[in-house]
Amino acid sequence: MRTTLCWSSLAAATLFTLGMALSLGSTNISFATTYHVVVYRVLEAFGGASALASPDPIAERIVWGLRLPRVLLALLVGGGLSVVGVAMQALVRNPLAEPYILGISSGASAGASLFYLGLLPPVLGQALSMPLAAFLGGLLAIGIVYLVAYTGTRLSVARLLLAGVAMSALMASVTSFITFSSPDPGKLRAVLFWLLGSLSGTQWGELIPPLATTVAGTAFLLVLARPLDAMLIGEESAYHLGIPVERLKRALILLAALMTGALVAVAGAIGFVGLIVPHAVRLVVGVGHRRVVPFSFVGGALFLVWADLAARTILPEQELPVGILTALCGVPFFLVLLRRGSYGFGGS
Amino acid sequence: MFQLFVKMRDFFRLCRFAPLATGVVLLFALATGAGCDTASAPDRTVTDALGRSVAVPDTVQRVVPLAPNLTELAVAAGGADRLRAVTVSDNYPPALVDTLPRVQTLPVDYEALVQHSPDLVLATDQVNSPGDADPLAQMGVPTYFFSFDAVDDIFTSIETLGTLMRTESDAQARADTLRRAFDALRTATESVPRPRVLMLVGDETLYAFGGPSYVHTLIEAAGGTSITDHFESAAPTLSEEFVLQEAPDVIIGLFEAEAPTEHLLRLHPTWDVVPALQNDRVYTVDADLVSRPGPRVVQGAYRIATLLHHDRALPAPPSLRLP
Repeated sequence: MRTTLCWSSLAAATLFTLGMALSLGSTNISFATTYHVVVYRVLEAFGGASALASPDPIAERIVWGLRLPRVLLALLVGGGLSVVGVAMQALVRNPLAEPYILGISSGASAGASLFYLGLLPPVLGQALSMPLAAFLGGLLAIGIVYLVAYTGTRLSVARLLLAGVAMSALMASVTSFITFSSPDPGKLRAVLFWLLGSLSGTQWGELIPPLATTVAGTAFLLVLARPLDAMLIGEESAYHLGIPVERLKRALILLAALMTGALVAVAGAIGFVGLIVPHAVRLVVGVGHRRVVPFSFVGGALFLVWADLAARTILPEQELPVGILTALCGVPFFLVLLRRGSYGFGGS
Repeated sequence: MFQLFVKMRDFFRLCRFAPLATGVVLLFALATGAGCDTASAPDRTVTDALGRSVAVPDTVQRVVPLAPNLTELAVAAGGADRLRAVTVSDNYPPALVDTLPRVQTLPVDYEALVQHSPDLVLATDQVNSPGDADPLAQMGVPTYFFSFDAVDDIFTSIETLGTLMRTESDAQARADTLRRAFDALRTATESVPRPRVLMLVGDETLYAFGGPSYVHTLIEAAGGTSITDHFESAAPTLSEEFVLQEAPDVIIGLFEAEAPTEHLLRLHPTWDVVPALQNDRVYTVDADLVSRPGPRVVQGAYRIATLLHHDRALPAPPSLRLP
């Protein structure tokens, strides 16, 4: 009953969010014009647009060419980052875990900025090379963290977190060094903007890598919902329940690096979504992963769409990096939740 | 054995203060030394653009500018032979700056700077922080700050530099030439139809010039209207929607691109309806001629004018070869 209620309210919230995010923005376009464009383009795709007057070309480009791909990317990035947060928290059985804490995001940022400033050769063309560089950077960071934390037969959670924090700082310094010593000052501010996290300038074609990895990763985690639940009780118990614990951990790490790489490459470093959203979701629907994974996806997606809407409306006709806003609105909200809730995290 | 250990411990404890003590002694030596060697008794007190009182020696002989535009302005004011070093970013005039030692200025490398024992350091609040002058002041080196809010500040600064370096007649002549050339362009474009111009600093992330910039005056003198002069911030990051809605007739980029229209279209496919892209009127201009407030902004304005009004007769740009 509670789940049904949650789902229907989320569905309503999604519709409302999409409606607002498409019709509000940096410039003023009326609701009527916005929906004229949407209806026209949807009908056109099914070959029935001739009945309608064609919309104003500028409004059409703003709504269909700029806002819609951007909103869709915000959905994917927000949902993806939250789901990666869920995976990481189950992996280390610690509510602090997040792609940022474990160094994956900083590694991905370092890889992507190396590529962005032209210090790495484009192997597969711009569209795939940057996600690839980000993925490799993230994988390298989490790989080193993993090796440090791996003691003979098992993964020490305390070491994993400490090594993650250290690696995160190291990779951030690498990024700072690359940007500081960049030969091209013009690119510097662009890199800065991207490093702070930004969804501006999203094109339809850029949606494919994040779409593929996010959908595949979320589906993978849904399939693994039961083993992930068992991990919450404790590795020992999970092992005795017949779950290949070490293999599961390696799979989760690889998945986190892959998803974070794909998302950081398109959207830059957007922090705190993966930390805040899963916790908020657990407060409402409990700790079972069959519910936590999908609800976190939708919750994170909606959160980032709203944050991005704020990023493009706070300063009229200008852009703000959305990463600043996710931290600004997310962290106080998170602190209030922590203070209020009788918060439990699985077995601990 | 134990006593030896205690002695060693005490010795090392004292050692911790050794660097500090050395530093204090060195600083003192530098402060007194620099004061004696370079500055002959200051007999002029001037007020700079930030309202600071600066004591300047009567004849300034050893000048170090902390920004590339200040080098160009000092040369324009007839002080090329006074420069002792330039910044790592200087590139004009090449025949001069390639022969001078270079100093890092962001952040200021004070050690390298005082090695050239300047008796006047030139700074601008657009690049340098006013706090940068404090360590120099402690060493007896005066720093004069310039500020460039309007085009005329650039011409005035040449006259100021002439006064500081006692090269008044050269500086006055140069400032007059630049003013006349700029006014001639203004007069020539007074009654032309004005295209709406978007000046972009960045191609992918859309950095532009906001309201407080002199760049809008350059565009206006070149016979155009800037569409970003209503922004309050000095460097707004425009949204793509803004450009679509404002529909500029001409876009001038300070970035490098072989085929500027195609370049922007690739980065911003939705801009295919913007008149500047439809009519293939996207141009690039050497950023140093526009975003560097120095004597060459006049050339920058003439360059923009030829792009905006290529079909009209314009006055010939002045010969501005710096010595």
